[in-house]
Amino acid sequence: MPNTDTNQLPGVLHAFLRDWRQNIIYIGFIAIFLIFALTLNDRGFLNPNNLLNIVRQTAMIAVMAIAMTFVLSAGEIDLSVGAVAGLASVTVALAVSFAGPFAGIIAGLATGIAVGVFNGWLTTKIGIPSFLTTLAMMGIAKGLAMWVSGTAAVPILSQGYIWWFGGGSIGPIPVLLFWILILGAVGHVVLRRTGFGRRVLATGGGEQAASYSGINTAKIKFRVLVISSTAAALAGMFYAGRLQSGRFQLGEGDELSVIAAAVLGGTSLFGGKGTVIGTLVGAMMIGLINNGLILMGLEFSQQLIARGGIIILAVALSQKRA
Amino acid sequence: MGKHIVSTVAVRMKGISKKFGGVQALDNVGFEVLAGEIHALLGGNGAGKSTILKVLNGVHAPSAGYIEVAGVPLTTHSPEASRAAGIAMNYQEMSLIPTLTVAQNVYLTREAKSGGLIDDSEAERDAAKLFAMLEVDVDPSAIVGDLGAGQKQLTEIVKAISQNARILVLDEPSTALAVSDVDRLFTFLRKLKKQGVAIIYVSHRMDEIARIADRATILRDGKHVITADIGDLPIDTMIEHIVGKRSLGLADVVRSEAIRGDIGLELRDVSGRNKPNNISLSIHKGEVVGLAGLLGSGRTSLAKLIAGIDPVASGEILVNDRAVNFRRPGDAIAAGVVLVPEARATQGIIASHSVTDNVILAGLDNLTSAGFVNAAKARAVTDAQIERLSIKTASRDHAVSTLSGGNQQKVVIGKWLAVDPDVLVLDEPTAGIDIGSKSEIIKLVRDLAASGKAILMISSELSELLTACDRIVVMADGRTYADFPRAALDDPAEENTDIAHRLQAAEQRLQISIQEALAAGQKDSHAQY
Repeated sequence: MPNTDTNQLPGVLHAFLRDWRQNIIYIGFIAIFLIFALTLNDRGFLNPNNLLNIVRQTAMIAVMAIAMTFVLSAGEIDLSVGAVAGLASVTVALAVSFAGPFAGIIAGLATGIAVGVFNGWLTTKIGIPSFLTTLAMMGIAKGLAMWVSGTAAVPILSQGYIWWFGGGSIGPIPVLLFWILILGAVGHVVLRRTGFGRRVLATGGGEQAASYSGINTAKIKFRVLVISSTAAALAGMFYAGRLQSGRFQLGEGDELSVIAAAVLGGTSLFGGKGTVIGTLVGAMMIGLINNGLILMGLEFSQQLIARGGIIILAVALSQKRA
Repeated sequence: MGKHIVSTVAVRMKGISKKFGGVQALDNVGFEVLAGEIHALLGGNGAGKSTILKVLNGVHAPSAGYIEVAGVPLTTHSPEASRAAGIAMNYQEMSLIPTLTVAQNVYLTREAKSGGLIDDSEAERDAAKLFAMLEVDVDPSAIVGDLGAGQKQLTEIVKAISQNARILVLDEPSTALAVSDVDRLFTFLRKLKKQGVAIIYVSHRMDEIARIADRATILRDGKHVITADIGDLPIDTMIEHIVGKRSLGLADVVRSEAIRGDIGLELRDVSGRNKPNNISLSIHKGEVVGLAGLLGSGRTSLAKLIAGIDPVASGEILVNDRAVNFRRPGDAIAAGVVLVPEARATQGIIASHSVTDNVILAGLDNLTSAGFVNAAKARAVTDAQIERLSIKTASRDHAVSTLSGGNQQKVVIGKWLAVDPDVLVLDEPTAGIDIGSKSEIIKLVRDLAASGKAILMISSELSELLTACDRIVVMADGRTYADFPRAALDDPAEENTDIAHRLQAAEQRLQISIQEALAAGQKDSHAQY
């Protein structure tokens, strides 16, 4: 065990240093916010509209990242979320145009559940690591979306659907913000306060110990993969609502932002440790950085480099040193 | 100790036999453990201790015999059935999840809930009460991964007890513990005993057993030797029963007298970060020095320091009279110091790779020109080792995983001989190897010494050390306590008796010295506080 500190610092200082690393995401979020507020104020960073836009743009990442927190906590990974979001946006749009908004919602969620069941089955029954299962699924989902849509955008005309899923606002507040808050609260409570959440953390923290304690770890892994795909489908439905159409490109590359958001928030890539609140802040931080870099007038190429650098810095600072 | 007023039988094993293939691991073994008793289970390596424990906790089904728990026969043999019958075994921290808190671990899958949601503060209060009742000082809100070994162990036992375990099996529970933790563990076990828990306690530390156990059962070669009150078993009697009459096999290895050359490896007051402490030792070329001691005595830590795996905290290591400072194993190998590691499967071989790929791994640079491995040279090097060590393999291209344990170990040794080292450190080189291959490996060790290598050999099988070594150093608690020339362990009065008998007598003497070192080691660490 690496955790045998021989030269211990005084208790209080030690605790502070440990917490400092654990809470780096919150400190970092505030620090970046303050830096942008000071340097980019004249470019409208603090304008309420700009801030609400950040929420709109990051809602999909946030929803997927909440579920990814469960997947990572259970010691698994899901690389297919971005592609599944794209696929769901297409199936929703098609179902809405053929059979109305209600059918659209059913079709979208069914897409996610079906993909999740398949991922879970391959991972737990066939025994393919989730990294490979979901890597393959990334291609399959994207291919399906292109095929079904004929690579064209599928428009959504139902105003009701658009209002509920991504396009609407209550006063100035986007409906998406409510979705994030509700899903975040549910995710947080489920992970922290239910038997299922505890079993997820136990499975990722020590699979052998968990199974010796009577936990069916395969079932837990199966379920988190289903949850993840379902959340990805929901994110796809938000994309479809916000852009009033389904397209196979929607969500492309999101898996990396989603995983980064969870890891930035303090969820361990190696399982056993996860926090939904941290994940939400992590997602918002990514949105904040994107927004700030755009306002700074950086080119897209420069944004990519700067974003990568900031994420590496944040994760490096949060690592516990041996 | 003393007589028990309550003496209901908690578990009764009768006529248990277990065969693995052709090997009779257990032969008609039977003993009883009473409720409220601490029952020591003793025996050398391969005596059948772990097999009988695995039968008891349902991992193995016995080939014959039966088990009764509190008078009820155990009909199905599975870990679940054993657990349901109230048998709990410490899995050396394997049943704890390092990322959860103590309370969360104790109540895992049985969480306290309020309003349908888990209530961790309630669990912490419950755990605190439980710990207080058992007089265990562990913080229920601490993360298990941050705890020391002793507290983890206590947590694990408390978890088992909270699930109504009536029979507790502890396999070498004190190995990873500091002296103060051992005292705490004993206080705790006595408390459990008072509550009528039956405890089966496996340990190689006889002083500990004398302190804590009420009765002891000794196994040897898969057979039951004796069950007796601890008061009737002084330590030397215990050792006599454990060692027994050695069957031949090792004794026929002829020990040629070593021609001692210059000093090959010298340690001057060497300490590691944790263990070992202040080791001074020199090994001449042509000499085999054995390290005897129990698990946790610092033998492996010392081997890792010498091989450049763990850093040296203080002191000096000299190879061929030159001071060296190894930062990584590659430095040690370049200086001619190599280690045949303890965990063969993970540290010694790459099981899925061929014999050739394994043998050439350490000397890859010598076989490479312009970045390409010279296949002809690689074949020649491998064939030379296969021949020299008589490695039995279908071909040099077969995966090492297809070889027997003994031949896998020869592949590890061949890997090192291919780089022609001056100093070889062998950590438990015969672990998990059948007796025939064992004597072959021992012979090989003698041959290597005769060819001028300086050899340090660690083994838990004392008869092996006595057969292979010119000198035996006894370690305990990270220090060296005694340094015997091999001949000093022979009794001059018994000169004329047969080899097996002499080996047995020497083994008893060495065993006593190990136990003495242990006692001295504990006194030393007590003095530090």
